[in-house]
Amino acid sequence: MAFLEINNVSKTFGKTTAVKDFNLKVEKGELVSFLGPSGCGKTTTLRMVAGFEVPSSGEIIIDGKDVTYEPPNRRPVGMVFQSYALFPNMNVAANIGFGLKIAKRSREEINQRVNEMLELIHMPGYGNRYPHQLSGGQQQRVALARALAMHPEVLLLDEPLSALDAKIRVSLRGEIRSIQRELGITTVYVTHDQEEALSISDRVVVMNNAQIEQIGPPFEIYNFPQTEFVAQFVGTLNAVNAEVVDPKAKILKFEGQQLQTAFSLDKLHSGDKVMIAIRPERLSFASQEKKANILKGKVQNITFLGAVVRIQIGIDSLNFYMDTFNNPYLALPKIGEDVEITCSAEAVLALKERKESQG
Amino acid sequence: MVMDAKPDSHRTTGGAPSARPPKSRINWSWLGVVPFFAFAIMFLILPSLSIFVRSFEGPEGQFTLDNIFAIFHGRDFINAYRTSLTISLITAVSGGIFGFLLAYSVILGGLPSVARSFLLTFSGVASNFAGVPLAFAFVATIGNAGLVTRIIENILNVDIHARGFTIYSIWGLSIVYMYFQFPLMVLIMAPALDGLRREWREACENLGGTELHYWRYVALPILMPTLLGTMILLFGNAFGAYATAYAFSGSFINLITIVIGAQIQGDVLYNPGLGNALALGMIVIMSLSMVGYLTLQRRAARWLR
Repeated sequence: MAFLEINNVSKTFGKTTAVKDFNLKVEKGELVSFLGPSGCGKTTTLRMVAGFEVPSSGEIIIDGKDVTYEPPNRRPVGMVFQSYALFPNMNVAANIGFGLKIAKRSREEINQRVNEMLELIHMPGYGNRYPHQLSGGQQQRVALARALAMHPEVLLLDEPLSALDAKIRVSLRGEIRSIQRELGITTVYVTHDQEEALSISDRVVVMNNAQIEQIGPPFEIYNFPQTEFVAQFVGTLNAVNAEVVDPKAKILKFEGQQLQTAFSLDKLHSGDKVMIAIRPERLSFASQEKKANILKGKVQNITFLGAVVRIQIGIDSLNFYMDTFNNPYLALPKIGEDVEITCSAEAVLALKERKESQG
Repeated sequence: MVMDAKPDSHRTTGGAPSARPPKSRINWSWLGVVPFFAFAIMFLILPSLSIFVRSFEGPEGQFTLDNIFAIFHGRDFINAYRTSLTISLITAVSGGIFGFLLAYSVILGGLPSVARSFLLTFSGVASNFAGVPLAFAFVATIGNAGLVTRIIENILNVDIHARGFTIYSIWGLSIVYMYFQFPLMVLIMAPALDGLRREWREACENLGGTELHYWRYVALPILMPTLLGTMILLFGNAFGAYATAYAFSGSFINLITIVIGAQIQGDVLYNPGLGNALALGMIVIMSLSMVGYLTLQRRAARWLR
């Protein structure tokens, strides 16, 4: 049995459906991210697990116990808020020890636990400071310590890094992950940052329009998106509408060019519309190495992104992006130059076309 | 080895001036506060100094301590201070509590937004409604021949005055003062209550706390500096009120402001020196309450420093 189960949970606010038929099982010690654009229902789902919202239907089970209608203060759940939500009138030690004080633990126990938590977040000696005397990153670490001080069975993090600058975000997410692994605590992490979700999670739940689009490990979500939305939302993507030419031979065509995919088209027929998705990093110049598919185009633009160089190539009326590792000794084509690009059949994903009425 | 692309001659040495020293510039922002300081000097500081000096002047302008001694020897004066302090404390505390509860109801109580708009508009008007119009409004409604008094008498056949009720008493005047005291509390507390973040309540709940824990450990301590500040404002508001009380009861209720008025502009009791000494007493009481407030405020708001 999974440690945290969210079964058929839906939530409506008036006529608006915030979460629709959400199903998820999280194993003990697993870190699962909810990833999606603003308003997709990820925070509402998290708030239902925390008890701040009551599901309109469905059930939430933690460690075999149905907590769907339990008030927040009776759930074995620790939460870290987007805005930290540290109590401004209490110093760091009082914030971390607040839950233990409410639980009427002895002063010695509270002090000991507070010191343990300060060690855990690498902030010993900060106990007497007030929240306004800390940086954003430090405040978020204190918020994490406060949530963990009560030994919760499930840790919930609601976009905990979104208010921080990029460098701190990267270092802090690593810290959160290592603390989570060290404690082995079951964790649900809400974010709209796909890089954050992919880097930190055991599994990612991609959400859109109040529903789950796909659940899977980061590698699977990125490399084998099952829907157009997932493919578009996670990472950069070349997406074009295409038509099935020969399902058995796995041949597709768009704008007069033909591509072969390695994935099964058995359920499709000749003439069926699909969407082709190719990651920019799966494309390369045919002059270096020829693969199953070759496309002819003209270089439109070259953008230097640091570790990666992104080349925009016009193929008929469409633009394709190709990423190549930055190599100072690599001779790049000139803008306006005719080039041939290539990709393997495994790089060509054929996805169902998005229905306009969706959502 | 990494070579520096810049020739050495282009390097700047640390600490050497890299540009012309900045010109000493006049901060014109001070101009904006000049009217305030001019106003404060003319109508607060100079009158206060004048009161202080004249408190120690006799009828001929000579130095004397008689005015100060007279305050402690005249029982009426001590009673006047006591009455003023009583009314000020009653209306500051009850106005504060009542105003806070009202503000809580409309801001956090989940009432429709129209209730909030109505209360805040009413409070804006009522907090400035004082003096003769307010006194007349109460006299005309629940005075001896007031409209409400007559309606109760005629319809319910109840003579409220026969049962000991009179509006011309400390409690009656307190009710009148409450009309502008609690709206002031509402006006000041509404934004403070708005400032309480939902996440603080949720974090408290998430850590096992109840509504009571939230108010005891989080919300009230956060609001305490504003609460204390507003209470002292209400106290000062009532302590210094003159026109409302005078128009309402004449000299029937022995308030210190009315006594001072009688000493300064009265025909019978005319003694400006004593009036100034009594006013000095008021300044001393307000100063002491401010010191008390600042001490409490420092403790309540140490997390803000």
